[in-house]
Amino acid sequence: MAVVALKPYPLRPVDGIEHYHGDQLVYWSWDHHLMFAAPFITCPSPSTRVVDFLEATIRPLIAADPDADRVDWTCVEWIRDHEPIAIDVGKSFSENGIGHKDLLRFRTPGMNTLCG
Amino acid sequence: MDMKVQKAKLGLKEKYRLMTRDLGWTPSYQPHEKLYPYAAYEGIVIHDWDKWEDPFRLTMDAYWKYQAEKDRKFYAIIDAHAQNNGHLNITDARYLSALKIFLQAISPGEYCAHKGFARAGREFPGVGTQVACQMQSIDELRHAQTQIHALSSYNRYYDGFHAFIQMRDRMWYNSVPRSFFDDAMTGGPFEFMVAIGFSFEYVLTNLLFVPFMSGAAYNGDMATVTFGFSAQSDEARHMTLGLECIKFILEQDPANLPIVQRWLDKWFWRGLRLLSLVGTMMDYMLPKRVMSWAEAWEIYAEDNGSALFKDLARYGIRPPKGWKDAAKARDHISHQFMLAFYQWSFGTAFHGWIPSEADLDWLSSKYPETFDRHYRPRWDYFKKLADAGTQFRNVGLAKLCQCCQMPCVFTEPDDPTLLCHRERVIDGHRYHFCSDHCREIVEHEPEKYVQAWMPMNQLFQGTSGGGGIENWMRWVNLVDGKDNGDFVGSRDQRNFAAWRGMATSNNGT
Amino acid sequence: MQIDLRTVTIEPQRHAYDHLEQRFGAKPASRYQEASYDIQAVENLHYRPTWDPEQQLYDPDLSRVRMRDWYAIKDPRQFYYSSYTLTRARQQDTAEANFAFVESRGLSALMPGELTAQVLALLMPLRHAAWGANQNNTLICGYGFGTTFTQPCMFQAMDQLGIAQYLSRLGLLLGDPESLGAGKRAWMVDATWQPLRHYTEDTMALRDPVEVFVAQNLVLDGLLYPLVYEHLVDDVLSARGASCVAMLTQFMSEWGSETRKWIDAVTKTLAAESADNRAALCDWIDRWLPRAALAVLPIVAIVLGDQAQSAVEDQMTDFAGRLGKAGVTR
Repeated sequence: MAVVALKPYPLRPVDGIEHYHGDQLVYWSWDHHLMFAAPFITCPSPSTRVVDFLEATIRPLIAADPDADRVDWTCVEWIRDHEPIAIDVGKSFSENGIGHKDLLRFRTPGMNTLCG
Repeated sequence: MDMKVQKAKLGLKEKYRLMTRDLGWTPSYQPHEKLYPYAAYEGIVIHDWDKWEDPFRLTMDAYWKYQAEKDRKFYAIIDAHAQNNGHLNITDARYLSALKIFLQAISPGEYCAHKGFARAGREFPGVGTQVACQMQSIDELRHAQTQIHALSSYNRYYDGFHAFIQMRDRMWYNSVPRSFFDDAMTGGPFEFMVAIGFSFEYVLTNLLFVPFMSGAAYNGDMATVTFGFSAQSDEARHMTLGLECIKFILEQDPANLPIVQRWLDKWFWRGLRLLSLVGTMMDYMLPKRVMSWAEAWEIYAEDNGSALFKDLARYGIRPPKGWKDAAKARDHISHQFMLAFYQWSFGTAFHGWIPSEADLDWLSSKYPETFDRHYRPRWDYFKKLADAGTQFRNVGLAKLCQCCQMPCVFTEPDDPTLLCHRERVIDGHRYHFCSDHCREIVEHEPEKYVQAWMPMNQLFQGTSGGGGIENWMRWVNLVDGKDNGDFVGSRDQRNFAAWRGMATSNNGT
Repeated sequence: MQIDLRTVTIEPQRHAYDHLEQRFGAKPASRYQEASYDIQAVENLHYRPTWDPEQQLYDPDLSRVRMRDWYAIKDPRQFYYSSYTLTRARQQDTAEANFAFVESRGLSALMPGELTAQVLALLMPLRHAAWGANQNNTLICGYGFGTTFTQPCMFQAMDQLGIAQYLSRLGLLLGDPESLGAGKRAWMVDATWQPLRHYTEDTMALRDPVEVFVAQNLVLDGLLYPLVYEHLVDDVLSARGASCVAMLTQFMSEWGSETRKWIDAVTKTLAAESADNRAALCDWIDRWLPRAALAVLPIVAIVLGDQAQSAVEDQMTDFAGRLGKAGVTR
């Protein structure tokens, strides 16, 4: 469908990767862990190793959850756009094919202290 | 000689016709579409503007007289309120958070309505419709101004009010109401009318004004009660206009039905998202509560709304698509929002707090199906952390919905343990949504929504003050340590307690 | 618990909202300032209008004139909703008393029939001119930039609607619904009224809010109101025995001189901003003033006949004086 307009109304996205100074947006959400009100928005460099970013940025963000210490990034189940995907956390975002504005959900079955 | 006797007495309707729609004429020096260039492109077909029934027959002389009476009373009361330290009559300084949100988020919306109705009051080719829109336009200006005036005396004593102008354009959560009104105003005149005149004013505004203003009364806030009360008779006129307008459009041509139905679907959902902020105020920010958000929703949306849509069924209108999901969310959204505001309170120009045990018990009793199971455990855990001196602050920034611009705090309609994630790739770019309905709105008009100003994304683009939280705070005029953070230990809490103490001990001296 | 709070003296934390302290210094702000300054959104607008994606939702570039700060424009009357409404309500009390006075004493019936006919011929078509002015001011409010510029235009629009309604009442008092009908037919087809209707329709096709302001409020009404209400009704027709009509149009005379102060203040501020602005204003005046003069001439002639030309010329001289004072020169 297209917007109904009096004159041609072009599609002009304002959020492309070119606006992020070489970095890209990646969203994160920990399934069934609702202590964190919404998915996180972050802005890593595509060449960063995923595990480095997880340890430096995501782990501190989720630290307040009682399950946080037990999260092992190599064991979590990853979901992107409602499909399971394999992520080699030792490799970079771009090597894993993780693109601008991807939402990465991770699941930790058996861990649900707060929101079970 | 006595001509008065010979004159036939004019009926009210005929007299009003001469006072309004008879003033217009069919142009001949300019083509009609040159004078009313935005009247046709939305696809709404109007065959006969004269079929418009004036919902209220108000001439300017009567308008000035009634409105001046109301305004005299209003300003007398808020003058007295300001002179007599009326702000110390509120039940508790926590209540101020509701007022801060109101001034930052709702009052600028009143101004948008003023401006939008001025445009509609020029663009519609029917005089009756134009006059009604113009009156609503100055009414809405009145509402914006009376609110700013009423809350001005609070601003002199409390934090969080002072920068509502800058925050209107820059504060992340205010892009929810801003995008709502910007969306309506960038539509054509008919969509604006269905969005604001009908969906917002008629279907949803009671939810905003009635519980909010009774909340103000319950909590000793005479200034707010006064502007709410004073606005109510205007609102009654606006609601009548909204309903008349939608019936008129539907009666004019069957081709209008699918367009109007889609607008109703869209604007009901956008309005619901906007008003979930009100739910949070009602359930959490009123020290003395009137009714729960769920109860208000039941009365003002479900009961009244069902009756309305039953009435509109004869035109082929069905209830908005999001109706059922709205009912499912009823028992969740206020909790989801307050939990969010609490953890993000470093970035809000109002205070958050953990509800007291008594408050939590009240919420348990009002939300027996959901609160103890899903939300109370989180509050209990937050409290445990706070008591241990490790207050939970979520310094992660939130993913926002491309449509409603809410942080995606909402859960799946049928699974309150899982956040609702929706996305769509449009022309090679990925977008995220809070719900099926917000996604559908964007899919319908992608050109419009891909250009939205998304405050969180902009932070990472470095456009909001130059990067970093401190720069951002300066850019939004947020005073760290005063406007934001937990209510407990805040300057508002301290000052209010001290001033009230003085008032009590000085009594009679 | 009702406590006596008046006894408490509390030091305020601040004097006014931030944006007002930035503009006017750290002191309490007036109600006009609170109600008017910066209350229109200016940045981070979310979407482009569906009627024209090259425009912004609030777009100062819709006008040829440019202002570094549109809030340099002020209303000397300091009208915000409440002060406006209270002022008009007081005037309405007077108007109501005047209508009642004329009606109860049957004063209109005492006028010679020919004079009544002349009054109706002059005033009834002006109902539609007032409606045109309502349309134009509503457009300025809708698409103009900055509240101190736009809010008085909404008041002006409502005033013009009020004027059209006072004229309608006047017509019903002096004549009957058919008097209004005859006025409308004249507006539509009589040669006398065609230049004015042509002018009105052409201004309604404009989309530059400041050009509309110039063409309607400054130029056209700058000639029409003093000529029709102050000169023809208050002086000429009163002297011929229609002084009761002057009572019924007292609102218009007073309103004309009150609003001229505001219109001149706006014009002066626009002109003082830059040579480009002055050039724009002059171009618009060159475009509209000769047409406005031609449009009012046959209307004035309804009452003055051959002397209309010199009356219009006198008014043009006065008008040139106003422009000079407002600094509108190349």
